[in-house]
Amino acid sequence: MDHLDRYREIVPDYAAFRAIQSQPLYNSARINTLKIEPEKLLERLREDGVVFRSFDWYPLGLKLDSESPGKLLQNLLGQIHIQEELSMVPPLVLDPLPGERILDMCASPGSKTTQIAQMMDNRGLVIANEPSLGRIAPLRSNCERLGVVNVAITRYDGRRFPRGSFDRILVDAPCSSEGRERRGPGTLARCSRERSLGLKALQVGLLKNALRLVRPGGVVVYSTCTYAPEENELVVQEALSGRGEGRNCGDNRDCGDSGAGWAGGAGGACSSGGHSGDSIDSGAFRLEKVKIAGLKECPGIVEWEGKRLMEELSATARYYPHINDTGGFYVARIIKS
Amino acid sequence: MSPGSSRVRNVFEPLERSIITKLWLERFAVPEQSFSGYRFFRKAKSIWAVSDVDLPALSYEAIGMRIMNCKDRPWKPTTSALQVFGIFASRNTMNLKSDGARIFLEGGTQAIESECEAGYVVVFYRGDILGCGLYSHGKLVSQMPKERRLERE
Repeated sequence: MDHLDRYREIVPDYAAFRAIQSQPLYNSARINTLKIEPEKLLERLREDGVVFRSFDWYPLGLKLDSESPGKLLQNLLGQIHIQEELSMVPPLVLDPLPGERILDMCASPGSKTTQIAQMMDNRGLVIANEPSLGRIAPLRSNCERLGVVNVAITRYDGRRFPRGSFDRILVDAPCSSEGRERRGPGTLARCSRERSLGLKALQVGLLKNALRLVRPGGVVVYSTCTYAPEENELVVQEALSGRGEGRNCGDNRDCGDSGAGWAGGAGGACSSGGHSGDSIDSGAFRLEKVKIAGLKECPGIVEWEGKRLMEELSATARYYPHINDTGGFYVARIIKS
Repeated sequence: MSPGSSRVRNVFEPLERSIITKLWLERFAVPEQSFSGYRFFRKAKSIWAVSDVDLPALSYEAIGMRIMNCKDRPWKPTTSALQVFGIFASRNTMNLKSDGARIFLEGGTQAIESECEAGYVVVFYRGDILGCGLYSHGKLVSQMPKERRLERE
């Protein structure tokens, strides 16, 4: 796990962070209010002898003392959905309202999609986008089991998702998943700085397109389940300012029309020496503080590998496993002016 | 035109709400207004329901929930659809007790006396809708999809 050493300087109580990696994570689930009232669900679990405890910070979240929670009757009937504790955070930060039009850009298997649908009381529209054909079936199956009727599924490359305009967009990006080590031991062994840099190109492309597709005044939430700043703060900074390595979508053909619709290259407060021709006017966007009552977050970092990042990144949130006894997550909330 | 006779394969075509409400009223006595907040589409032999909103012009893999299969006669409601709309049904519904519910959830067949007409029925247990059963000649055959069944004890 030497890979984690690169985070020694940014993770508080680093020894505890290291120690908890080998401790398995408990199972958890979300109560699906589209199918059952929370009180009734809790009563059913008690009747069926299921041992559980509600999250301190989210009344619809449950820690389950069950080896195969997926086989519980309540799960088969769609009254609960098995979901990691921190995976319930991005939809809450997105804060969708009934009747709105939402895009979930990287949707499968649909845990966050269905949470968004339930927060909207099955009204309005959620476009659940998932480019991989093989991942459409689980997405559909989860939506249907959970009784969701306000989700339509598309299969675009998120970097080229064609048109908006959306009230809110969730970009829960493909990532190196370092924060999942407690759930899937061995995850960290596949992680490296190079892998993170490779993913960063895709992540920047996704986030840039989301910033284009959201309506003025709308919200974009960017999240990953990883610690690497290359996949988190650096992605947000590059998408907002266009600086750093300039326009970089990995495969240049993928950049396609993604430059169209950008507020034109005025540079901006955070852009020092960016490629202004390709950049977004960073004044067109602002980062809002991510804060979930009852859950402790650490501020996004503003310095990495000796380089200063934009100060506003401290409004983004890092969730570490040893602080809340969870997995790991990163969440940023961006408002389009 | 019957709801099953799609002219174009693999394209979502809008479908009039009244076609759907008529079928659900006839079989399950679901009141028409239960469907007022939805739009309906047909793709091949399936009917889909989605919240009542304008859909942006995109290429869709799925629109809302697949609620009916019209491949065979009579049409068959999906488990997911009954779990949403079955709550409004007052005809051809069946309440199971604990033992019967387990058999049903395991995908089994059971003997049962009922006032239901032969055909598809809405199956309840403890006030929850379990799904769709096929009832005829005093037998109830579970239609639970494999991936949503309880494992046999």
